[in-house]
Amino acid sequence: MRWPPVLRLVIRNFASNLDPTTVIIRFGQPAVTIIVLGTMFSTIISSDVTGGGSYTAFLVPGMVAFQMITGGVVSGNLFWLDRRWSMVEQIFSGPFLRSEYLGGLVLTSLLFSLVGVGIMMLVGLPFTGLPALSPLGVLAVLLTVALGSIFFAGFLIALGTRLRSANAYFSIQSFLQLFVIFLSTVYYPITAKTPKVLAAVFYANPLTYAANTIRDAFAGTLGSADLGALGVLAVLAAAAFGVAAIAFRTMDLGPIQ
Amino acid sequence: MPSNDLVLETRDLGYAYAPDRFAIRHLSVGLHRGEVLGLLGRNGAGKTTTVRLLTTLLPPTEGTAIVLGEDLRHAGRTLRSRLGVVLQSESLDFVSVERNLTLYAFLWGVPREVAKSRAEEMIALFELEAARRRKPWALSGGERRRFQVARELMHDMEILFLDEPTVGLDAIARRRILRYLRERARQGLSIVFTTHILHEADLLCDRIAVLHLGRLLALDTAEGLKQRYGGAREVVATFGGALPAALRATLVADLAPRGATLLAPEDGRPEPPNRIAIRADHAEEIVPWLSRWAEAHALPIERVAVEEATLESAFLGMIGDEEEAEAETSPPREPIPGDGVRGLP
Repeated sequence: MRWPPVLRLVIRNFASNLDPTTVIIRFGQPAVTIIVLGTMFSTIISSDVTGGGSYTAFLVPGMVAFQMITGGVVSGNLFWLDRRWSMVEQIFSGPFLRSEYLGGLVLTSLLFSLVGVGIMMLVGLPFTGLPALSPLGVLAVLLTVALGSIFFAGFLIALGTRLRSANAYFSIQSFLQLFVIFLSTVYYPITAKTPKVLAAVFYANPLTYAANTIRDAFAGTLGSADLGALGVLAVLAAAAFGVAAIAFRTMDLGPIQ
Repeated sequence: MPSNDLVLETRDLGYAYAPDRFAIRHLSVGLHRGEVLGLLGRNGAGKTTTVRLLTTLLPPTEGTAIVLGEDLRHAGRTLRSRLGVVLQSESLDFVSVERNLTLYAFLWGVPREVAKSRAEEMIALFELEAARRRKPWALSGGERRRFQVARELMHDMEILFLDEPTVGLDAIARRRILRYLRERARQGLSIVFTTHILHEADLLCDRIAVLHLGRLLALDTAEGLKQRYGGAREVVATFGGALPAALRATLVADLAPRGATLLAPEDGRPEPPNRIAIRADHAEEIVPWLSRWAEAHALPIERVAVEEATLESAFLGMIGDEEEAEAETSPPREPIPGDGVRGLP
């Protein structure tokens, strides 16, 4: 059976670049965060702050949302390594279009994120019990993570097309990852006591919209604000993908050091 | 070869990496089915740019090229699926050599069973058995290059482009690869081959295109190039003892009326004291004359022979003449950037 080009590229992405150590660390880190951070903070953070449930129950949807960054980072790094080791040029000398390669990266990111969602939900199950997810809620979670994943993948791929130094790429990627997580509602909610400036920054961060929507989906309280959040994510994902596609069309194919 | 056998034809093909800055210009060459075309030239001559142009990795900025019946300007996946390319830069996936081979075949849509048997064939042919389970970064430079060529041969193709495929290979591995490529060409595969090793080009290529500063200097068979540009042949003689300075001066004076020159270290021929090299238009006539001359001066000759022109002497002659002319007429040329070139969408 001859697979379509995009799927061949996705399979190659998984087979060639995702070694077990990377996979374990990528999924293990948020899982450990749920277990350790969730357990410890549950003992010191009042349920009033987290909307009635334990801190772990608050954290699990946040870590589910976090998977969109994990997927985006995986794709961004894959692309960077392909460029660094001249595989981009080698692949483009074969029977593939640029759009297929880009599509393959985004699909890889998407699959990675969705697997992550499943793992985080399983890890969170003993702490939170079954979330009150309706079919619409499941759809909202999947759509949120998918859109977020496209956003971050597109952003990092666009960055990867322009940077020629591995140090610069990985430093910016780590810096962004750290700040995007901490300047969002993954770990803590926005309350009346949140400084206005910080709240504004939080709301400029797509991860905030994702974490809030997933939290509402878990609680079975999806509303119009979540629909708006999905709209914002869709616009951001389309913009990031568009920028990545343009950057891709005009990028240097030659090897980088 | 008949012209209807052409699988590749370029007319005035050019690529400018900036306005009026050409990496290659006015390139008109053809490649026949089953032919091996060598691209020779110094660093920056335009060999890699030519390979990138002909494999759609770069868009031509002038001229035309028809590759396997398709106009290069509009060609895409369909054409590329009929080409094989071993690029100059090393490319690899982070899996074992064996897995790399089968994974690359999978990318090309080669059926699993075919890929498995072809991987075995390539591992044996390119002597990668010991490296089969190793990751590419654990390979030596030569192994990595062999692996690179082996990987490209995992899929079917009609034209194979090889950009310096034998860099870092030992003589035996090189000869093995060249022999295999020759055999594949005999079976109908057309090959474009760039190299700095002139002896390789002489062995493998049916025709050789010599590029210099982005222009095509000559296109001919190796023999044709040697005849046209190899210059005068050389007579090399070894005496029983060192040639005294006074006799050397006499020899120089005696050779002059015969249109022959005694080569000196400054001509790039540092010979031992008992050896001489003479460049002559009519080398055959110099040999008996030299024997008589040595006898007349009581100098025993151990060996005397005419050395044929080599591809190297032809290449040096061509490039040397061209550089002299260039230096007289042009300001220094800006270096061609290796990267910073834009590919096709």
